[in-house]
Amino acid sequence: MRKLVLTLTAAAIAVGFAAPAGAQFPDRPVKMIVPWAAGGDTDNIFRPLAPLLQKQLGQPIVIANVTGASGTVGAREAKGSPADGYTIYAMHDYIHLVHYAGLTDVTYKDFEPICLVSATPSVLTASPKTPWSDWKGLVADAKKRPGEISVGATLGSTSHIFPASVEKAAGIKFKYVSYDGLAPRMNAILGGHIDLTDSNLTQKGKVDAGQLKFIAIASEKRDPEMPNVPTLKELGINIVFEVVRGLVVPKGTPPAVRAKLGDACAKATAEPEFKEAMRKQGTRVAFLNQQDYAKFLDKIDGENKAIMTDLGLIKK
Amino acid sequence: MLELLGNALLTVLHWKYLLPLFAGTFAGVVGGALPGVTITMTIIVLLPFTYGLDPLAGLAAMTGVYVGGSAGGLITACLLGIPGTPSAIATTFDGFPMARKGQPGRAVWLGVWSSFFGGLVGGLFLILVTGPLAAIALAFGPWEYFSLFILAMAMVAGLAESSLIKSLISTAIGLLITIIGTDPIGAVPRFTFGSAFIGGGFPFLPVLIGIFAFAQIMGDIEKMRQPSAAGEAAVKRPSLSVAHLKVIGEILARPFLFLWSVLVGILIGVLPAIGGSAASVLAYDQAKKISRTPELFGTGHPEGVIASEASNNANVGGSLVTIMAFGIPGDAVTAVMLGAMTIHGIQSGPLFVSQNPGLAYGIYAAYILAHLLMVVIIWSSTFFVLRLTSVRLAVLAPIVLVLCVIGAYALNNTMDSVYVLLIFGVFGYALVKAGFPLAPLILGLILGDQIEVNLIRAVMSDANPWLFLTRPISGGLLIAAALSVVLAVWQHLRHQKRTAGEDEADF
Amino acid sequence: MRLGRDGIAGLIGLAVSLSLLPQAFGLPKLPIVPVGPGFYPVIVLVFLAVTSAVLVVQDVVAQRQAAERAGREEAPAASGRAYGLVGGAFVVVGAYVGLLPYLGYRIATTLFVAAFQLLLERPSTLRQWIIFAVIAFGTTAVTYVLFEQYLSVLLPRGRWTDW
Repeated sequence: MRKLVLTLTAAAIAVGFAAPAGAQFPDRPVKMIVPWAAGGDTDNIFRPLAPLLQKQLGQPIVIANVTGASGTVGAREAKGSPADGYTIYAMHDYIHLVHYAGLTDVTYKDFEPICLVSATPSVLTASPKTPWSDWKGLVADAKKRPGEISVGATLGSTSHIFPASVEKAAGIKFKYVSYDGLAPRMNAILGGHIDLTDSNLTQKGKVDAGQLKFIAIASEKRDPEMPNVPTLKELGINIVFEVVRGLVVPKGTPPAVRAKLGDACAKATAEPEFKEAMRKQGTRVAFLNQQDYAKFLDKIDGENKAIMTDLGLIKK
Repeated sequence: MLELLGNALLTVLHWKYLLPLFAGTFAGVVGGALPGVTITMTIIVLLPFTYGLDPLAGLAAMTGVYVGGSAGGLITACLLGIPGTPSAIATTFDGFPMARKGQPGRAVWLGVWSSFFGGLVGGLFLILVTGPLAAIALAFGPWEYFSLFILAMAMVAGLAESSLIKSLISTAIGLLITIIGTDPIGAVPRFTFGSAFIGGGFPFLPVLIGIFAFAQIMGDIEKMRQPSAAGEAAVKRPSLSVAHLKVIGEILARPFLFLWSVLVGILIGVLPAIGGSAASVLAYDQAKKISRTPELFGTGHPEGVIASEASNNANVGGSLVTIMAFGIPGDAVTAVMLGAMTIHGIQSGPLFVSQNPGLAYGIYAAYILAHLLMVVIIWSSTFFVLRLTSVRLAVLAPIVLVLCVIGAYALNNTMDSVYVLLIFGVFGYALVKAGFPLAPLILGLILGDQIEVNLIRAVMSDANPWLFLTRPISGGLLIAAALSVVLAVWQHLRHQKRTAGEDEADF
Repeated sequence: MRLGRDGIAGLIGLAVSLSLLPQAFGLPKLPIVPVGPGFYPVIVLVFLAVTSAVLVVQDVVAQRQAAERAGREEAPAASGRAYGLVGGAFVVVGAYVGLLPYLGYRIATTLFVAAFQLLLERPSTLRQWIIFAVIAFGTTAVTYVLFEQYLSVLLPRGRWTDW
């Protein structure tokens, strides 16, 4: 038996080495690691992108949802993958926060940028059971009873950082309750167990049905889908808060492979089909090429560090 | 609602969904009929196939397994006298004697039609009650959820057949497993000893698959050298032909017994964490109490078969209500279904039916159609299924293990999950050998994170700890939990003399 | 004082909970959250410690009673149970899982299914050997094609074999 194993192994190794090393990239399926569950916000953005990338690259893009521990399991898996372009990592700017929170050693610097794909503006959302329905009412109430208006958030994540920045800019004080993920937050806010939360335009249906109230959107200008929701900027709160997502590859991936992936990404994100898919996700397409994305990453990394220091959540 | 259901039925009749549903139901009937292969095991083996499917197709397959498995157990229960799955235990009491008295067809088909009608009434309940119950579930704050979970754990610990204290330890171990890894609130690493492997915690499904699959397969391997019980009952081909209308008439002529059994099944199903075996045994017991001829039970009395089979299929409907309205699994089978939903990014819970009506009604439709398919499958291939029960372990075991490994790997696309599978396989087998029941452990594992999160949310929402008792629903649930523990202790004291050192795995 | 199986299990439970408790108390507190991440683990560990202790006490009492009855009923020995096979099965599965990332799914699975079959039952006739081979290769081929081609699940590729 053992002999058989050895022979087979030896044979297989021989075959492995004999395979041509420098074949044209890509000559087999490419794995895209999404560090969050299928059907989640991040997955919903990259899943429509996969077939469009596939069209450009001529090889299947297989999405692998590597979930767990606030997205850090996927980050670790991506970092440890061979730098051959056959593993691409669908990154979310949350990676900066979890690093500063001391959750993981992996940083954006372990990867090489390919392209920025999308930006999703955050929307301050209120429960139908709250007595106010606009920003002014919220602020007045918050001033009257500081620390009593409850906000559902994943602590230390974008859903926490956003209301915390608002809190600071408006000079009010909230009470935070831990609700991980958009779906549990929606359950809690509909049931009136929390007053406020961060959500995005994907919840538009519930607002139309009167189950939720959008207070303000954290984008540069009003969204054509919801023209009656004011931006925070109009309300005198200078905050633009968008969750951005892009593609990166492990450090050391050959420049030719990166260029090929970058090209494919540029063409795929420019497709009208992709724009339409993003519109349904309350998201805008925000393409940046390798160089610009690298600069952008440096910039938001600094911003995130500052916010985390401000909130006293920083550990690194 | 009818229109939604009609559309859903038409959708599920499309081959894209019908094929997985058929495959699932067939696998369920076979798995249910195979002694030693439980419904949980079948659904675990099927799990990896659902990853690549459309969510509804995957859930249809799983619903099929659940329905098919709950009925399939009766084939071996009636014809071989061995319950194919724990939920058919009570079916052997009267089904087997009836078959031996020369009425195998009557025994099998009484069971099948009882399962069919019981399941359909359970389905009616499922369709009518899930929506309203979800509205109530929405009003559940962290206090209520916390208390509900405590109640579930208290009941399961109390129900376990071995000692109460061992059940409680088992629960604690399950809870402890969920603590390891990063904490769910602030993501602080706990008990990870600095290891990146442990850092992510132990994902639920690989742990569950490991514990179940290994405890089961290794338990079977242990007994390989013993003469097998199924072997000597080698399949003769008794005629199963029977006048179906007459059999159906027999069931419908006992409307009170039938409905009462269905009700028992549904209620046990709705209560979190108590499985089909409790439903069938309890319904059998009830049937005996209300019967005019209790002395006939155990001799091949039709009432016994009807009670057991009607309740175990109605139980499936009840369990589905709980996962769809509350997002809480009723047993290991629904825990795997919920896990499969999560893989597809579908969050079950109070908003599930209103946000995913297509999927929710698709599950209802799959549930109903699975009952029809189940009848067709048993009608056409009872003997084929019986032949499959004689597949040798040497063939079955490696294939099942390979599927478990794929199931764990593909869940997360990392080998880490496979290592977790193996570690907990060894651990689960050791626990069974040490005489600990697995059901409370699985429940602890299923609910662990949720208990903690809701506890902390309650503390964060309001500093007053008395709210757990003063909020009416929460307080009521906690009192019920306390009562069920007291009841269990009292029963144990009464039965103490009779406790023998039984160390069979409790699935 | 004699300890049975339960007593030993209880002692292990007690040891685990008592050794983890200091760690639970040592966990850092979080800003914003009124109770730290150690709050719930402490509850569970104390629960485990108490129940384990009760189990040990129960066992000691039971052993004493059993000693008084002096071996009137011999504990049922694990008669005819093939523990050797179980051990072997664990070893084979362990080797499979260990080698999977190095040999790749296709090679490792074929070897595993073959080894596991051999462990439980050695084929003797030619017909049995053919069935044996069909199952080993068939399981691998069918699962590989099904999962990679139709179910979009990429199975592990071997680090040594790149296949």
